[in-house]
This record gives sequence, C-alpha cells and structure tokens, in this order.
Amino acid sequence: MKKTRTFLISADRLRARAGLALLSFALALNPFATPVSAQGVSDEDVKPVPLLQGSVGFITNFTGGQPDLHPIAAPVVLLPIGQRWLFETRATFENDLVQVPGRSGFHGGPVQKEVEYAQIDFIANSYMTVTVGRFLTPFGIFNERLYPAWIRNLQSDPLILPIGIGPSNASTGTMIRGGFKAHPQLNINYTAYFSALSTRSPVDSDRFAGLRAGIFVPSERLEIGGSFQHLLQQERSNLFGFHTIWQPTPLPLDIRGEYAHSRRGSGYWVEPAYKLSQLPFLRNKMRRTQLVARYQQFFAGELPNDALPSVNTKEFEFGVNYYFMDGLKASSNYGRQFSAAGNLNVWTMALTYRFVVPLGPTGSAQ
Amino acid sequence: MRRNWMLFCCFGVTACLVRTAIAQEHKESEKASESAATAGLSATNSIPSHDRASPQAFRSSASEDRAARIEGEKRFRTNCGRCHQPPHKFPPRVMATAIRHMRVRAMLTDEDMRLILKYMTQ
Repeated sequence: MKKTRTFLISADRLRARAGLALLSFALALNPFATPVSAQGVSDEDVKPVPLLQGSVGFITNFTGGQPDLHPIAAPVVLLPIGQRWLFETRATFENDLVQVPGRSGFHGGPVQKEVEYAQIDFIANSYMTVTVGRFLTPFGIFNERLYPAWIRNLQSDPLILPIGIGPSNASTGTMIRGGFKAHPQLNINYTAYFSALSTRSPVDSDRFAGLRAGIFVPSERLEIGGSFQHLLQQERSNLFGFHTIWQPTPLPLDIRGEYAHSRRGSGYWVEPAYKLSQLPFLRNKMRRTQLVARYQQFFAGELPNDALPSVNTKEFEFGVNYYFMDGLKASSNYGRQFSAAGNLNVWTMALTYRFVVPLGPTGSAQ
Repeated sequence: MRRNWMLFCCFGVTACLVRTAIAQEHKESEKASESAATAGLSATNSIPSHDRASPQAFRSSASEDRAARIEGEKRFRTNCGRCHQPPHKFPPRVMATAIRHMRVRAMLTDEDMRLILKYMTQ
C-alpha cells in the first residue's frame, strides 16, 4: 500500500514535472511569435519545390579477405510547406551480398528497408527550429552531417560511431536547434533534444536527452563543438564528445576529428583529406582527385555493446577519391586494423552518385 | 534532484536564448527602420535631380548586388564545403528547398542562407 502510494505520488510529481517542462517550452516559444511573423524567412522570394534527392552507391568491402558487395540506395524526400515548415525523410534500401560456401557467385537475403528519419521542422525564427518526429541523433558530427555515402570521404564508419546515437542511429522525440551570428567573426550553433524509448524495430530508440553546441569561425574555417547526453534508462550514464572541422584557407585541405566517451567505450578519429588541385601538372585530373587518411583508436568500456568492438582497437586507413562530376565519385581505400582479437586488412572500393530530382516546376522564381 | 537540476539548466539555457533572440530582433528592426527612414529621405531629396540621380542609384544598386554575390559565393564555399563538395548551381526553386534543408541540417545562420541563396539562384 505504501509502495503504491509512493508510486502514485511519484507519478503525480512526474506529471507535474512534465507539465512544467511543457509550460517552460511553450513560454520559451511564445515570445518568438511576433518576431517570426514580422521577420519571415529569407527564401520567401522564391517558392521552394518538393525534392527527391539522395544517393545510390555500390560498395565493395574485403574485410580480412572476405568479400562483401553492398549496394545501397538512400532517397531523401524534402517537402517544404509554406514559408516555415519542412517535412523531410530518408529511407535506406540496402543488401549485403556474400559468398556462400559450395555455391558460386554472391548471395544476399531480402533487401533491408529502413526509414532512417522522418521529421517535421518548424523554422520558428532566425535562431530556432523545432523538430518533431524521428531524427538523426545529433551526437558528434558524423551521424548527422557526414553519414551519406556521397558525402563521406572514406566509406567505412568510424569505430566510435555507435556511441551516443542510439540503437538505430536515430531518436524519436523532439529537438530544438539553430545557428546564429554571435559576433561578426563567430557563429554559434546549438541543438537540444529528447528521445523517447521505442522498442519497435527497426525504428527503435533509447530514452535520453542531450545537447550539442558548436562555434564556427568563418574567417578561419574552423568549427569546434561538444556534445553531451544523459541516458534516461539502463545505467543512466552520461556521454560526452568533442568534434572539430578545419579547412585551412590557403590549402585545399579538410581536417575532421571526433572524440566520444561513454561507459561502453571511448575513442577518437582524425581524418585529413587533401585535394591535389595545387599540383602543377594534369590540372584537370588533379583537381578532381583527393587523398584521404584516417587514424582511429577505440578503447573498450566497462559495459558491453554489440555495435562496438569488444576489445581495444586501432585502425589506419588511406584512400583516394576521384570526382568524375558533381555528385559522381569513385573511392578506394586500404586500412589495417590492429586489435587483440586479431589484425586484419580492410579494402574498400565504391562508386557513389548523388541525385536531385525536383517534384514540380523549377524555372520560375515565384 | 538531478532531474530538477537538468530541467532548471534546460530552462536557463532556453531563457538565455530567448533573451538573446529578442535583443537581436529589436536591434535588427531598429536598423531596418533607420535604413528605411534614410532611404525615404534620400528619395525625397533626389526628386528634383531625378534624371541625374537615377544612373548613380542604378550603379550603386548594381555594385551592391555584385558585392552580395561575391559574399554569397564566399559563404557558399565556407559553409557548404565544410561537410561536402560544394554542388553546382540548381534552379531557383530547387535551391530554395535545398537551402531550407541545409538551414536545418547544417544550422546555417539566416544571413548565410540569404546570401547563399542569392548567389546560387543568379
């Protein structure tokens, strides 16, 4: 009886807290109502058209001598509604074709289909966008900004990618985010999100809340940021990470890196990519060629995680990308993985294509 | 206790953002009204010498347009190139959707978005 009463009181408290949180959120949004309608958004002169975009790719992996063919298509649908709303969703269709002993050729199961995210964005004003639905977890930068096959410099995932992004790389809940100029030389971006527990595969997600904030210095082309997440289930632990992107102005060089820490493991990756456009010969070919390297290290944590390596692992990768035209890229890379479970070679070759198909007339500006 | 603390922190951060946003909105609206007043004044003054002022106004507007385009290209290279190869130009309505998507995804500022859109649609 006492236990039941305690439960009822705590349930009431929880409800009150949830109410307070919602009220705080509503109060926070309310002052924006007038400026939003007064200011409007900057693309109001041009009426946006619904888009089907995304990427297709054919990725070939040789991990420890085992070949694996991986065709993938990831269409994105963008549906702008009015001046302030955007519905966006990305699905993935992929298959793993492997060699089966005793049979010739490559064989795969049924095509794996997944809706990676489906979210509605409301651009409240110049400083805040509210997102509701299933969204890519903004922990670090790789999952949200560098994940698509046509964007990533190396086709393999960093070892620490599963840290902080949930069981299916996405969250189910709500998020506020935005970017604004804090100083003539400084932009600030931020994201705060809450994800609810969902056990329905493949749209499963963990219950957590988190923040990410970054500072971008446009003149130096330098972005530095940090992520924090508090898990509201299981061991209720805290996760944190840091990220950076730097593009030195005098060189066609990108340097990206991330660090992530959790009780299930921690690690970092650093990835420089250099375009050969400064070489004085074969200019047309060289400006399309990019050399990439990535060094990463993973330290196993005290708790197990199926998506992370079970032992400390180091990996070095080196690759070449060639951009045939806007959106069509061939890449190839070699990597060597060192761990207590055994060292192995990783070869990857890939052809990726990014497409954009307008779902309506595009010519007129009105 | 920890939850209360987190809630308090979230509320504090939100309140700070609201305050910053309102302050900047006020500043921008003041700037806009000032420039509108100045433009109105110059228009009134230029009425008698309309024929002489027009080419000058046209020239200044063209140079402003050019400056905006150059700045737009700079912002385009700086912001888009941070994550991916900067794409080629798209038709205006396609670009309007793509830039709205990037505003959300890459958290572009309002100014960056406006300048990039201007550059990409010209």
